[in-house]
Amino acid sequence: MKAVFLDGIVLGLQMGLLGVGLTLIYGLGGVLNLSHGQFAVLGAIVMARVLQHGASLWMAVPLGLLAAAAVAVLSDLTIMQPVYRLRGEARVLLGLLLMLGVGTIIDGYLEWKYPIEALNIRISGDPISIIGVPMRVGSLVASAIALAAGAALFVFLRYTTFGRATRSIIEDEEGARLCGINPALVRTLIFGLSGALAGLVAVSRAMTSPVISTAGVELTILALIVAVVGGLGSVSGAFVAGVLLGIVNTVSAFYIGTYITTIVLLAAAALTIVFRPAGILGRRA
Amino acid sequence: MAESAAMGSQSASGAATPHSPAAADPEALLRVESLSSGYLGEDVVLDVNLTVAAGEAVAVIGSNGAGKTTLLKTICGLIPTTAGETRFGSRRLTGLGAHRVARLGVAFVPAERHLFNTMSVEENLALGAYPHRPDPETLDSVFELFPRLGERRGQHAGTMSGGEQQMLAVGRALMSRPRLLILDEPTTGLAPVLASEAYATLGRLRGEGLTVLVAEQHVPLALSLADRAYVLDHGRVDLEGSSAELADNPEVRRAYLGIS
Ligand SMILES: Nc1ncnc2c1ncn2[C@@H]1O[C@H](COP(=O)(O)OP(=O)(O)OP(=O)(O)O)[C@@H](O)[C@H]1O
Ligand SMILES: [Mg+2]
Repeated sequence: MKAVFLDGIVLGLQMGLLGVGLTLIYGLGGVLNLSHGQFAVLGAIVMARVLQHGASLWMAVPLGLLAAAAVAVLSDLTIMQPVYRLRGEARVLLGLLLMLGVGTIIDGYLEWKYPIEALNIRISGDPISIIGVPMRVGSLVASAIALAAGAALFVFLRYTTFGRATRSIIEDEEGARLCGINPALVRTLIFGLSGALAGLVAVSRAMTSPVISTAGVELTILALIVAVVGGLGSVSGAFVAGVLLGIVNTVSAFYIGTYITTIVLLAAAALTIVFRPAGILGRRA
Repeated sequence: MAESAAMGSQSASGAATPHSPAAADPEALLRVESLSSGYLGEDVVLDVNLTVAAGEAVAVIGSNGAGKTTLLKTICGLIPTTAGETRFGSRRLTGLGAHRVARLGVAFVPAERHLFNTMSVEENLALGAYPHRPDPETLDSVFELFPRLGERRGQHAGTMSGGEQQMLAVGRALMSRPRLLILDEPTTGLAPVLASEAYATLGRLRGEGLTVLVAEQHVPLALSLADRAYVLDHGRVDLEGSSAELADNPEVRRAYLGIS
């Protein structure tokens, strides 16, 4: 039981990081990025290709993150521009439809070009005992990456001028503009950051199980569930939701069966909307 | 209407009459020229001329729906201009986004405040200084002006009282060390005592040399602060003149001061 629980936390940290990227973009611009998982997979495949050419991880990972960030920034600067001119429901709908399109294109391209490609990162070393459970080094490094990224994001959002500006737009865009903050610029840069975070999720996930080229849709759905349970727009909420759902996921997979876990996660999201529409923490930011 | 002509109201063509301060002061800090703007293709601010000289306090008065808020938001770049232009010093504000207008030194305090509710007083003030780090001296001067804010640095803006939120909104605007402070109905939601206090504070800022443009429905308060005022009616400048002149104007007395 303890082992299942720890595995759940390992998965949950990755899910949290996945949800954070989605929630940031939604909070800033009302865009539900339904290609978030595909950004992650794109980064993973770039890393896998670079690794095959004999390059080291230190070379492959930055290139993969850069690729994911670049596609995200490009989406923001091109296809999202008409979306930002709309308001309210129209903006949300057009945004999610267009990003669904971007995701489909990435999926199609990867499936066509790299059907059997996968990113696998093996970290060698003997298992390390955590509260009496032997944990693989890969799982621990993966968790450390997710935790470090989460902590860095927290410090960035709370203590830096640019991070504060980002939160201020999520909270009140008009107020932010009156403070001299340019929402379009912040959106573009955070879109890029969110893409890089998606790539980082792929890195940490590849340390525990292979990231295959067709995993995009599944990751997007996971990101969406985590962000909804955390409360769309709430960064800390997404992280907490990710960890909780990771545990729920692993426990239900262990005791009931893998086939049921997606249903359980969707049910968790549905229940959150009914009972805590603002997310588990019940507040934004 | 004889009085209004004598005070230099705008002619139908929008050109200022020789008596108009707009013509008399080409060096004004803020110059609004034949400005029109509105919503969804329908203009509600029509051909407005207005100036604010450096160091001056100017009020825009008028009844509900006259277009005061629309005028101020257009100046600040929150609403697009459909005709005419706005100049600030040597810079053209028209066509710039609200964030660029703000960075040029025009701070706007909207009637709805637009504070960052789940952030602390201190964070709200820090954002006022964006893109710079908050200047400690400016922060001290804001806390000196509003000791209440100093006592509640850590409190979330959303949990503060209406009066405190008003102070925070003004304080946040001051953090950018603006050359022009524009306020829309700063007394919105304030009890009469607090409304007078808010105007006392504005008077103090004005005394320290800050240039102020304020839209206000509470006409006696507005005229007590302002050197000059414009009366807006259905989107047009109906009257303009010094506060003393307007306070004596029978039309103003009847319509806005409740005196016949
Ligand atoms: N967002 C909007 N969309 C469409 N019309 C609007 C909008 N905001 C204001 N108006 C209209 O523009 C006109 C001027 O409104 P505005 O808010 O500028 O007046 P105001 O002088 O500030 O009034 P008040 O004293 O009530 O604040 C009104 O007829 C109003 O109905
Ligand atoms: Mg108004």
